[in-house]
Amino acid sequence: MIQLFHVYKTFEGAGTALHDVTLKVAKGEFVFITGPSGAGKSTLLNIMFGSEAPTGGQLIIDGRNYVKIPRQEVPSLRRRIGFVFQDFKLLPDKTVFDNVALALRVMGVETVDIKRRVSKALSYVRLQHRANFKVETLSGGEQQRVAIARAVVKEPAIILADEPTGNLDPHLSLETIELFKEVNNKGTTVVVATHDQSLIDRFAKRAIILEQGRVVSG
Amino acid sequence: MLGCAMSSVRDNLATTALTSLTVGFSLAILAQFFFVFINLDAAVSTWGDRTHIVVYIKDASQRAPGAIERFKGASLAVPGVRAVEYISKDSAFSELKREMKGHEGLLAGVDAAALPASLEIKLNSEFMDGTKAAGVVEQLKRMDWTDDVQYSQEWVEKFAAFLRFFEITALGAGLFLVGVTVFIVSNAIRLAVYERRDEIEIMSLVGATDAYIKLPFFIEGMLQGLLGGFLSVIIIYAGRWLLISQMPSYLQFVVKIPLSWTTVAASVFVFGIALGVCGSILSTSRFLKSC
Repeated sequence: MIQLFHVYKTFEGAGTALHDVTLKVAKGEFVFITGPSGAGKSTLLNIMFGSEAPTGGQLIIDGRNYVKIPRQEVPSLRRRIGFVFQDFKLLPDKTVFDNVALALRVMGVETVDIKRRVSKALSYVRLQHRANFKVETLSGGEQQRVAIARAVVKEPAIILADEPTGNLDPHLSLETIELFKEVNNKGTTVVVATHDQSLIDRFAKRAIILEQGRVVSG
Repeated sequence: MLGCAMSSVRDNLATTALTSLTVGFSLAILAQFFFVFINLDAAVSTWGDRTHIVVYIKDASQRAPGAIERFKGASLAVPGVRAVEYISKDSAFSELKREMKGHEGLLAGVDAAALPASLEIKLNSEFMDGTKAAGVVEQLKRMDWTDDVQYSQEWVEKFAAFLRFFEITALGAGLFLVGVTVFIVSNAIRLAVYERRDEIEIMSLVGATDAYIKLPFFIEGMLQGLLGGFLSVIIIYAGRWLLISQMPSYLQFVVKIPLSWTTVAASVFVFGIALGVCGSILSTSRFLKSC
């Protein structure tokens, strides 16, 4: 599903973020990417999402090479991938419904279908009762669930999550990973970047370990 | 999409109102400058019309039938001559009497035939220059029916210098004002778009195409331009009404609106919409590049 071959990423003035990264994530797999802060986890996810271009190497998603992807093709890649950001990236003054619906509206989905699919996604993250609340009135854990609902509502082939538990307490962190596991059980490929070793130990999934931009295990 | 843009305008009512106000005031100031320029230019052209060459005609030459028409034709054929007017002896005498009003006694016993008939020659504006005007005078002097030629070289030179100064100053001030207007309006729009950079970024991250993101801003820019244009028309006419009551009558021509209100409204709306749309699209594109 996702393949990286000898990927390098260098930031001007900040050195090398990724050094000769080669990895493969199979279709329907659940993978953790872990490592200390600054190891290159976020950069790796951003490259998979098309928001960073690798300095060298190849990125193949579903058999298609996405290196140097033309700007006009980025939206089609992003529609196939659900991304859950550490800082949620929600519109605080919009309702929970509007935030989740946005992912479908930009794809041109019919209003009737939007209502049905958003409702389904919100019930999946157990937030249906909060649909008409503004996001700014929700707790951190609830906001994270809105972000997950927005990622899953478009029924993507892949979900990438960058430190999704970074701002949550241990109990909410477990709940969040459980949600990803449920999504994965339905066949979606899930890649979660985290530095929380306890989560990796508890869920016993494959973990790719990065250190100073190199894959050291996995 | 229009509904989406309208709801966005509703959500950002204060920003939309401020941007429209900025567009309105900027366009009104710019339009007023152009009106003042057009009015002053017209006034300067009138002064230019007063600058003329007088060719006195030999008495003997004008007796032949059709002679005057021939003299006029020959004068018009001289490069730089725009218009020729024949002043007969009688007209010259009437004019003199008008000028000497109150002192008519001085003209008692003076015969109208004592004054020479003449041609008043008006020059094209590009010949309002000492050297070129002198060239025209030389050619007129060479006509066999010319008795004498009179013109004020000093006045022509001073007027030409003033005309050049006026045109350069007006062009400089006009360009400066257009630049300032574009700068102010584009910054107001840029700030309005900047306020919504998170929205732009999030839309891009969930898979919106650039066109999808830009379209509501395009429509909003158009609405802001339209609203700004509408405000500008009100400001222009209300401003003129306020100014005119405070100005001495001999200066009121400066704030006259030299175009029909439909032309003013159409020009201001078109310029306002163009500014709104270009400003929105350019600002949105800038943020999209970083998403």
